[in-house]
Amino acid sequence: MDAVLIFQSLISGIMMGMVYALLGVGFSLTWGVMHVIHISHGAFGLLGAYAAYSLLQYFGVDPIASAAMSVPLLFLMACGLYQLLIRPITRAKNIIMASMILTFGLAIILENIMALIWKADPRVLTPAYSSGALIVGPFYFQYPHLVGFGLSLVGITALYLFLKKTYTGMAVRAAWQQPEAARLYGVNLFQISMITFALAVSTAGAGGICLALLNSFEPHSHNLWLIYLFLVVIVGGVGNVIGTALAGLIIGVITGLSMAFLPFQWVNLVTFGLLMVFLIFRPHGIFKQEGL
Amino acid sequence: MKVKRGNFFSLLVIAAIICSFTLMTPAVGFSAGKPIVIGGSLPLTGAYAETGQWIEKGMRFWADEINSKGGMLGRTVEFKIYDDQSDVGKAVTFAEKAITVDKVDLLFGGYPGTAARAVMPVAEKHKFVYVSMGGHMKSFEQGYTYSFGAPPLMGEWWYEGFFHWLATVPADKRPKRAAVYTINNPVGLSLMDSINRWTKKLNIEIVINEKYNAPLTDATALIVKAKQSRCDILFANGFFPDGVTTMKAAKALGYNPKAIVQGIGSVVPAWVKELGKDGDYVFSGTCLSGQLSYPGNDKLNAYVKKTYNLNEYPLYFGFGYSWMQTLEQAVAGAKVLDQTKIRDWLKANKVNTIAGPMTFDKRGLPEPINFGTQIINGKVELISPKNVQTKEPVYPKPAWEK
Repeated sequence: MDAVLIFQSLISGIMMGMVYALLGVGFSLTWGVMHVIHISHGAFGLLGAYAAYSLLQYFGVDPIASAAMSVPLLFLMACGLYQLLIRPITRAKNIIMASMILTFGLAIILENIMALIWKADPRVLTPAYSSGALIVGPFYFQYPHLVGFGLSLVGITALYLFLKKTYTGMAVRAAWQQPEAARLYGVNLFQISMITFALAVSTAGAGGICLALLNSFEPHSHNLWLIYLFLVVIVGGVGNVIGTALAGLIIGVITGLSMAFLPFQWVNLVTFGLLMVFLIFRPHGIFKQEGL
Repeated sequence: MKVKRGNFFSLLVIAAIICSFTLMTPAVGFSAGKPIVIGGSLPLTGAYAETGQWIEKGMRFWADEINSKGGMLGRTVEFKIYDDQSDVGKAVTFAEKAITVDKVDLLFGGYPGTAARAVMPVAEKHKFVYVSMGGHMKSFEQGYTYSFGAPPLMGEWWYEGFFHWLATVPADKRPKRAAVYTINNPVGLSLMDSINRWTKKLNIEIVINEKYNAPLTDATALIVKAKQSRCDILFANGFFPDGVTTMKAAKALGYNPKAIVQGIGSVVPAWVKELGKDGDYVFSGTCLSGQLSYPGNDKLNAYVKKTYNLNEYPLYFGFGYSWMQTLEQAVAGAKVLDQTKIRDWLKANKVNTIAGPMTFDKRGLPEPINFGTQIINGKVELISPKNVQTKEPVYPKPAWEK
């Protein structure tokens, strides 16, 4: 087996996996902290991708700068959505089921709004570097992969540090680990849930932009992205930021190696076979310890 | 004022004559009777929404045109279009519903091939004429008698035009080693038929022949393998998303074979719009084109120019229009809405469409139709056969633009 092929496949697999991790980390948080399975998470990612597409097409704004603009906007939008839609369902008997049904509907609404604004045509995010590569010896590091990987790394690290080092972040963790104790210590659980939801949606936007750098997208692409969201969250463990990042890398390595060693038609089988293995043998994910 | 009996009678006669003239004159845009309802489903949302919506636009353009001429059999036509959300199961359900619940007069063709293939037995069961793209060769080999492809979208024929042109290239200048990557579904696999036949004929060795399952999220390994194997022709037998992923990887990894042949994705308008220069020089095929000289093409091009600011009608707009053209001629020929009579008329007569004149064999297929295409300067040009050529093909492929 050719070393260049193996290494090259590994590089792109890992970079791709990291992008899935950024897209999935917020999904994992809302699931873990709020018990909300946010089916429209990928649709918000797609919204970020479309915003980046329009900003690039009409104003020449680079997707990296778009991410910086989209993240706070999505944060604010998500705060409003939380108050309007998510907060009422937290009173439901079965939050998981209620949230799935509600956000499934929200995903359909978002998909139709995007189809109305941007039409059903497929789109490709093509900044100047979209098909360039950094060449190091026999290896090619594709710029969109590098940018996606870099943005994902920054996004996940920032989220991790926020949760670890800030008071609000610690409150989010407390709400996840001991909600009743957190409430007794004066943590406003609704406010924390709103921040968690908004953070999750923001990371979805950034993840969507990164993924749009790698693949074309259409209004229904969020359905496909959702499959990968479940994959990284189940492998990484619900509510676990580091676990999700690691899951992204593991999925990337497995996909990369499968591409190098196996017939291509087996790649998805292997990747999603991994999901089955985790569901059967390690339903809590990579780490035994719950948390962020 | 008193009107004399004789005068009153005269007025009555004049009024009756005027009325009878009004009824006898075929008024433009007016037709008597209940509208003819043409039903079925299209993927107006979901994965195939872009193409589905173009088919609908083509069909509606036809309907506006036919209604302005007085309709079919003197009756206006109207559509009952369901959105099957790109779901084959729903396409079947809606076809059944259109026939049995809505009791439509005619059925229209669906999309994609997987949906059309699934609706064909429904049409056969209810004895309804079904003019569509079909679901590649196998779907027309099931013994159905009410299904017609006018034109069909036939993967088995898709690269015929390209290969006919390649055969004219001197043997020493032709590619020698091929990398073939095919999406693992009926559409992708149907493309292998012409590749296998022609590569053998033209002495091109298939060095890599691999299938992949959608989604193809990364094409790095595919391109690295093709590059390392020194393949000088790449067949990327897929749709738009995997086609884009493959093209981007090929450019980024500096892989520039003599020819890149792409399946269905490169004839979608988004290919040129979204990929720009990177989408150039890709070969493919088509069975319809606004650049053909068959009657109707100019009119369609003028309409899309005015309405959508496009220089040429998109392929699927043409499909929608052509299927309806065929149905229209069959109904006019049969002179009734009796499905079996419409079918029998189609089996025995020639129809003239924007894809050219067609007669149908017992499978419901016309003679093979395919034109080789290449994207040159952001436009899908016809390269083969020679008599329809709009531009000389660019070969070998120039280096990627920086």
